Amino acid sequence: MTLWDLTQGTSATVSAFAASIEAGYRTRLSELGFHPGESISCVMAPSLGAPKLYRVNNTVYSLDDSIASMIEVA
Amino acid sequence: MSTPSTPPSQPASLPRSNVALIGSPNSGKSLLFNRLTGLNQKVANFPGITVDISAGKSLIDNSTEYLDFPGVYSLHTISGEEKLAVEAFYKAMDADHLDAVICVVDATRLEKGLIFALQVVEACRRYNKPLLIAANMTDVLEQHKMQLDTQGLADALKVPVLPISGKTGFGLENIPSAIASAKAPTEAYGIAGDIIASDDSLIHRQAQQLANKYGPKGDLLINAQTKLDSFFLHSWFGGLSFFVIMYLLFQSIFTWAAPVMDGVETIIQVTADFVLARVPEGMASDFIADALFGGIGAFLVFVPQIFVLTLVVGMLEDSGYLARAAVICHKPLRVFGLTGKSFIPMLSSVACAIPGIYAARTVDSPRKRWLTYLAIPLMPCSARLPVYTLLIAAFIPAQKALGGLIGWQGLAMFGIYVFGIVCALLVTAVVSRSNAELRSDLPFVLEMPPYRLPSWRPLLRNAWNRSKHFVTKAGKIIFIVTVVIWFLGYFPNQGASLGDSWLGTMGQWIEPVFAPFGLDWKYGVAILTSFLAREVFVGTLGTLFGIEGAEENFVSLSQQIQDSGLPIGSGVALLVFFAIALQCVSTLAVLAKETGSWRLPTQLFISYSIFAYVAAFLTFHLVEFLV
Ligand SMILES: Nc1nc2c(ncn2[C@@H]2O[C@H](COP(=O)(O)OP(=O)(O)OP(=O)(O)O)[C@@H](O)[C@H]2O)c(=O)[nH]1
Ligand SMILES: [Mg+2]
Repeated sequence: MTLWDLTQGTSATVSAFAASIEAGYRTRLSELGFHPGESISCVMAPSLGAPKLYRVNNTVYSLDDSIASMIEVA
Repeated sequence: MSTPSTPPSQPASLPRSNVALIGSPNSGKSLLFNRLTGLNQKVANFPGITVDISAGKSLIDNSTEYLDFPGVYSLHTISGEEKLAVEAFYKAMDADHLDAVICVVDATRLEKGLIFALQVVEACRRYNKPLLIAANMTDVLEQHKMQLDTQGLADALKVPVLPISGKTGFGLENIPSAIASAKAPTEAYGIAGDIIASDDSLIHRQAQQLANKYGPKGDLLINAQTKLDSFFLHSWFGGLSFFVIMYLLFQSIFTWAAPVMDGVETIIQVTADFVLARVPEGMASDFIADALFGGIGAFLVFVPQIFVLTLVVGMLEDSGYLARAAVICHKPLRVFGLTGKSFIPMLSSVACAIPGIYAARTVDSPRKRWLTYLAIPLMPCSARLPVYTLLIAAFIPAQKALGGLIGWQGLAMFGIYVFGIVCALLVTAVVSRSNAELRSDLPFVLEMPPYRLPSWRPLLRNAWNRSKHFVTKAGKIIFIVTVVIWFLGYFPNQGASLGDSWLGTMGQWIEPVFAPFGLDWKYGVAILTSFLAREVFVGTLGTLFGIEGAEENFVSLSQQIQDSGLPIGSGVALLVFFAIALQCVSTLAVLAKETGSWRLPTQLFISYSIFAYVAAFLTFHLVEFLV
């Protein structure tokens, strides 16, 4: 399952990044707190495929499908 | 960042201490900087607004100079713009240009700020620089009765922590003494080792622990934010409120500004009549009537609109809504090759392309940013507004349509705005599909800023400054152009016949260029001068009609155009031409500066000129065929 599959109001722990992810993206996500072991909740999943809102500790980020589907969660 | 403006080496006689303001994006560095220096850097509730380092002398003691840095998430970042900022920061530390560092931390998002602050502590330890941590936004904490244990945090980090609020000014007076007594950190925090290069999860864990122990407790703020998000990003209400907000933005420019514009016009009219009644007839009175009141007066009428537009866009920027608008627009904009982040530069461009181009730095993907640059010059900027307003007033009847619900003129204005936006999107859609140039792309990741009630004073001040800038900067060009135009149009026959003047003779060469859409040489000259800046069109035309006309009293320019019997097809063709053509020297110069070469501006200038000409030609024939 990936981060993009999380539905509104649920949370999960990051387990890994997709193998195809670019190193640059991966670092950026890590800087923001999306790294293995971190618990992340989906606070808002707007309709029509708009980017979803994810909460990492006390900050909310929005990620679109292309990147959220590269973060594997368990 | 074209030139990281780290100050050059200081002369020995002037001991000045340089203090850097750094911190994560949107932590309030620029507002604090403005407060400390009295300068006017752009502040907005959106991460990544500041893109250049700026320096300013302290208001309190002018031996201190503050440096406002762009916000970065991490000191070992690798992404484009942030990397430049980090490099500039290290360079300044290395070259001993910095005497102290203030790390600004948003106390309402303590953990995020501490992740960065921990890296700064380590960097300052290595470079032996005094460090002060400013816990900003304490006004928000106070409002919600939340606590921050600054002493505990300071003891844990072994770095002074000063609670402040850039908004209310709380604690700012303590900054100079706190800097003076601050020392360079001597101990690495927590687990010794290479914290800057080490695994992110380690710093995160440490920041988390610190935030939990000393920071404000509870989820109050984030829950409030989520509640508003579930409205503004709701399937129905979200889309609806987006359209309502955009409609209000558009409406405000026309309805709020209209009475003031009428007022300005009346003042100009009364002053003109008053002055002219007292100046003896002759060349001086002709000059005053045609060049001063006709040319410059015609353009001053639009200053209120610029004021209102800047004010309303500023309100949106400060509210935190723009980030939500970016989320809403992301999917639709992706169809046209853009990203949700392109929305902010494009919206800013409705005020003026220049801040729009700067705002495009918030588009982190180089490819998307490049595409955004293509869209920006086509966005209906406020310099086009005088031209649109003039032409619409001259050609579109002031009657109501749709059973009195909306005026034809308003509808026409709406139409030409939509036309510009549609052109912009079509261009990016076509180019993004046909241009396989390898520019690196980045995915959409955006920090959601908190919602805030806009603070009025800085917004009003900003709008005032922008209007003043418009009057002084554009006013200067317009003044020079109108004087030159008047001179060429008035001589050698003292205004007896415009057609036989020097300008009239030159106009004959230009006439064939614009004849295909039914315009005579006067419009040709006005269009040519408007390539300096669009508003000049109105001034030039005002001067030319002034020389030509023999009116005793002030007659509005739109009335004079109407009376001249120009076909409606030409009017609409002119509207289309101005919607597309890139007639703005400043836009070209800023684009060249931002992209590092004149290639893109040259390409855009040529292709948009051709596009504008062809579209105007087709429009003229279509309208003349239909009417
Ligand atoms: N309530 C409150 N708001 C603040 C305070 N300081 C800054 N802000 C607001 O926070 C937002 C961001 O402020 P900026 O000064 O632009 O932040 P910045 O750190 O320069 O941001 P970047 O340049 O993007 O890195 C703006 O909306 C400010 O009005 C504060 O002390 N209290
Ligand atoms: Mg800033």
